[in-house]
Amino acid sequence: MWEHRCKVAVSGVGFSHVTRSAEIPLAAHALQAVKAAVEDSGLAMSDIDGLATYPELPATGHAMVDGITIVSVNCMMAMLKLPNLSWQVQVDTVNIGGAVQQAVNALLAGVCTHAVVWRAMHNPRGTYQNLPGTHAHGASQFTAPYGFGGPGQGMAVAYTRWLERHKQNREKMATLAVTQRRHGNKNPHAYFHKTPLTREDYLSSRMVAYPFCLYDCDIPVQGAVAIVLTTADRARDLKPRPAYLAGYGQRLAFEVAGRIGSLSSYMEGGRSSSRLTWERSGFTPKDVDVAQIYDGFSASVIYGLESYGFCKEGEALDFIQDGRMELDGALPLNTFGGSLSTGRIHGLWHIIEGALQASGRAGERQVKDVNVSFVGASAPVVQGTTFIFVREPY
Amino acid sequence: MSDWSKVTRPIPVPNEWTQPFWQAAKQGVLALQRCQACGHFQHPPYATCVSCMAIDLKFEPVSGKGSIYAYTIMYHAGDRRFAAAIPYASIIVELDDAPGALLAANLLEAPYTEAKVGRRVEVIFQPLNDDITLPQFRLASEAP
Repeated sequence: MWEHRCKVAVSGVGFSHVTRSAEIPLAAHALQAVKAAVEDSGLAMSDIDGLATYPELPATGHAMVDGITIVSVNCMMAMLKLPNLSWQVQVDTVNIGGAVQQAVNALLAGVCTHAVVWRAMHNPRGTYQNLPGTHAHGASQFTAPYGFGGPGQGMAVAYTRWLERHKQNREKMATLAVTQRRHGNKNPHAYFHKTPLTREDYLSSRMVAYPFCLYDCDIPVQGAVAIVLTTADRARDLKPRPAYLAGYGQRLAFEVAGRIGSLSSYMEGGRSSSRLTWERSGFTPKDVDVAQIYDGFSASVIYGLESYGFCKEGEALDFIQDGRMELDGALPLNTFGGSLSTGRIHGLWHIIEGALQASGRAGERQVKDVNVSFVGASAPVVQGTTFIFVREPY
Repeated sequence: MSDWSKVTRPIPVPNEWTQPFWQAAKQGVLALQRCQACGHFQHPPYATCVSCMAIDLKFEPVSGKGSIYAYTIMYHAGDRRFAAAIPYASIIVELDDAPGALLAANLLEAPYTEAKVGRRVEVIFQPLNDDITLPQFRLASEAP
């Protein structure tokens, strides 16, 4: 087990008002989320001395403009002018979960006391993907000429392999989309908070990249979310009940850039990340009371459930049936609605919900008697991270 | 069958790693990067052998026969230039000679509904301009 098990905790969380596309600058969203998270903790802004983010712009082909299309650490430093800032980092390789893990490490090293992590996501007005021009450079020279334009197709090819190898039926995914939306209808910050989704809506929706229909894809939005992390002893003195971090892991499987469609890559990635999380926390999948698993595209949940060890390969679409993923089911899943309901904010919202469920603060969607709360943030194909939060730090 | 006649494909730009691949394709030959130490074929090209870490890599011809490892049918014109071909099959091919090396392509000369995991395919060559020829795939003519 990890020597630092339960020595860091999530305290406050914060959200901006999520909109379909850019109405106000992205920096304003990030600031709104960070202020809300600090206030939720009961801290003053001057208590914050650590900052971390992952500022990637997934809407490809658009210019990186700090404050408008991304919110870097530098941008946040300029906005907050923190008098006691003592540590900051901007991560590159493992998406926002990596920024959270760096903040955990900094707290454990004693180089900061209260760190804020935010994820701000831009949705430009007009075209989301500004696809490459007349020429395809780099890794895209082997994909773009064949009409592989956006990330959806890269995910879709692995999904056809999964479906046909395991003789499965994509219509079973309706359960995931519909149940997650019902959870999302209980999440006041979700983009689709007030929009219901029926099985018929899912089954009759237009195909985007087979086997993905419209409701297999998260909707691009403009918004930001943030969390405050601190050491466990400090967290106990703050306003909200802490969610203690029992363990974490990162994707460590090797993959060459540009190699697309590999189902084994998802599975190896998920296994490598979760193995460390189980070992460090001392828990097994059977101990988990509630799980958040990244769902930028619905099939990522399937790869997650299998590679993290919740069910066997090829069985995830059956595993989620019969009420298992409901709030009172055997494994309540994506209880905040997932990215499919909140909009595309990447994995920090999954981490936030994992923490809220562990600390008993998930309101109308709170699962009963949660102690062990699992999070798979990001699709394990390139950027996976996993976390376990607990209510009681034993 | 998808109508590719009105599609303007992005033109690949070869670099120091990938140039031999495109030179061979122009001659109607499918050639992949192969480790001279352990014999491992890999695609896309990389700086080192991803199997044994050797750096002695050369491009060698492969038969061009293989199976569909995975596929997607595109219904959404995210890239407007491909709108005329919708719906179309984008496939990932695993070659008999190069297990693990996955090539993206389109399934040509067949309805997109013929794309299935495991279906046998063979390489064909589609010139884009005087310099660049795309390897593509069609259903294999021979029995597997």
